[in-house]
Amino acid sequence: MSDMAPRERLSRVLANQPVDRAPVICTGGMMNAAVVQVMDENSPTLPEAHFDAEGMAELAQRVHAATGFENLGVPFCMTVEPEILGSRIDPGTLSCEPKIAEEAFASCGEVEIRDVKKIIREGRIATVVQAAHHLRKRNPDAPVIASLSGPVSTAASVVTPLAFLKELRTRPQDAHRVLDYVTRLLVEYAREVIDSGADVIAIGDPTATGEILGPRIFEDFAVRYLNQLCDAVHTSGKQVIVHICGDMSKSRNQLANIHADAISVDALVNLKRLKEDFPRINTMGNVSTALLEFGEAEKVSRNTARLIRDGVDIISPACGLSTSTGLHNIRALTETVKGHA
Amino acid sequence: MPAEEQKRLYEQLATAVFELDEQLAKLLAQEVLDRGYDAWQAVERGLLEGVNRAGKLFDEEEYFVPELLIAADAMYAGLAILRPHIKTHHTGFNRRVVIGVVQGDTHDIGKNLVRIMLEVAGFEVHDLGRDVPPQKFVDTAIAVKADLIALSTLMTTTMERMGEVVSILEAEKVRNRFKVIVGGSPLSQQFSDRIGADGYAPKAAQAVELAKRLVGLSNAA
Repeated sequence: MSDMAPRERLSRVLANQPVDRAPVICTGGMMNAAVVQVMDENSPTLPEAHFDAEGMAELAQRVHAATGFENLGVPFCMTVEPEILGSRIDPGTLSCEPKIAEEAFASCGEVEIRDVKKIIREGRIATVVQAAHHLRKRNPDAPVIASLSGPVSTAASVVTPLAFLKELRTRPQDAHRVLDYVTRLLVEYAREVIDSGADVIAIGDPTATGEILGPRIFEDFAVRYLNQLCDAVHTSGKQVIVHICGDMSKSRNQLANIHADAISVDALVNLKRLKEDFPRINTMGNVSTALLEFGEAEKVSRNTARLIRDGVDIISPACGLSTSTGLHNIRALTETVKGHA
Repeated sequence: MPAEEQKRLYEQLATAVFELDEQLAKLLAQEVLDRGYDAWQAVERGLLEGVNRAGKLFDEEEYFVPELLIAADAMYAGLAILRPHIKTHHTGFNRRVVIGVVQGDTHDIGKNLVRIMLEVAGFEVHDLGRDVPPQKFVDTAIAVKADLIALSTLMTTTMERMGEVVSILEAEKVRNRFKVIVGGSPLSQQFSDRIGADGYAPKAAQAVELAKRLVGLSNAA
């Protein structure tokens, strides 16, 4: 098993089959690894590569080579979906990822429901789909991961977030209507990008944390729509990873109900304990991003080795990397995992 | 017994806010005026008391962000009715805060929670919103004679902007006129120390305690 290809290794871990060692990945999307040090005068640069399929594919290839992460990950931001749904995007800079400049709607009731089959032809979904296609052709042995923004995070980027959070309680029917719409779009997007060659779908849903929503709303709104999306990916015959941010100590049982093939969490969640309590969950994470940015390589290695000893199934940064994170620290992370065969 | 009735109405107002009923809070605020009761007492013993109770449950993780935001809305709705009738202007203790999300970041949930809780605690809050350039924090703090500058970010990429605010304060030789506090999920006390801020708080309620302590309203724990 020592010459297991990364694509096979990740697929086997997600299917609960034995592997030689844990894969080390960084999914893209909110877990973007296109740090400043990856780019130079000969490479595609951000923000341009957010908008061009060839540039996006080439930069993802470069991230893969420079960091040692055993996957190709696109896109490099969380704004593809909200932009298509009408929000205004600030494209960011080389060192700052794109963000929402202005949400499209002030309340859930105002959201105009359009035909999702039509709108996936718009905006940058085609860019991501095309980039995934290039990457699949060029990388027979490495998994291509397409990262989608989760339903709650997307909805809270299309409707003003404070209004959206309140309406989860005050106008639940309106909130469900928006989440249903957003989820149908995400399902279509996932199908398209799977058809073009993505091996794994990663869903990053930072707003959908128990820390913000509380366990009940997390279950009724976050888990429900995440599961619709996960089920759709499974129907397409592919595997899915879900990343949830923040402190989930009050929502651990709900976390275990997510239909994902692996759950990725923040640095403050103890993965060893999570695994002990819910043995059937595949865990992913959670090397501190603060440590990766400010710590020393040796500490990164030690932290990584501990996660391996704890039996974490997939090793990855705990959350979004700062774009000023040094490559030496990222390589300390990936090389430590690769040395543990 | 009018005093009893007055007290009961304030309590109902507090309960309406705490139980997230904005419409009821408005009705009760109007009732306070109709009966000629004291508007300031209704704010203090009704609206603020209600949102304080909501804040307590938030600390205890029984209420979460949606609940706290709705309680705050109910408080503000009642306040809009009562405010024009407050006789002597009660401005709390006259301490001013300039707050905002630093440039490059538009995530403002945490900042809004802190703003609400600072207002409830009696601070006069100048909210610069989100994506705020470092210079604007400094200019506003000087203009409004602030006591405290509160900086928020959720993104690791924008943390360094907080250090720039401190540097500008130093360059303009006004650093000692303001306390600077920082908050946001990627931050730590270590980070706060490194950029030369006066304090860091991991949660909204602790930010208020920190703010009070730094402006000399409560003793160090």
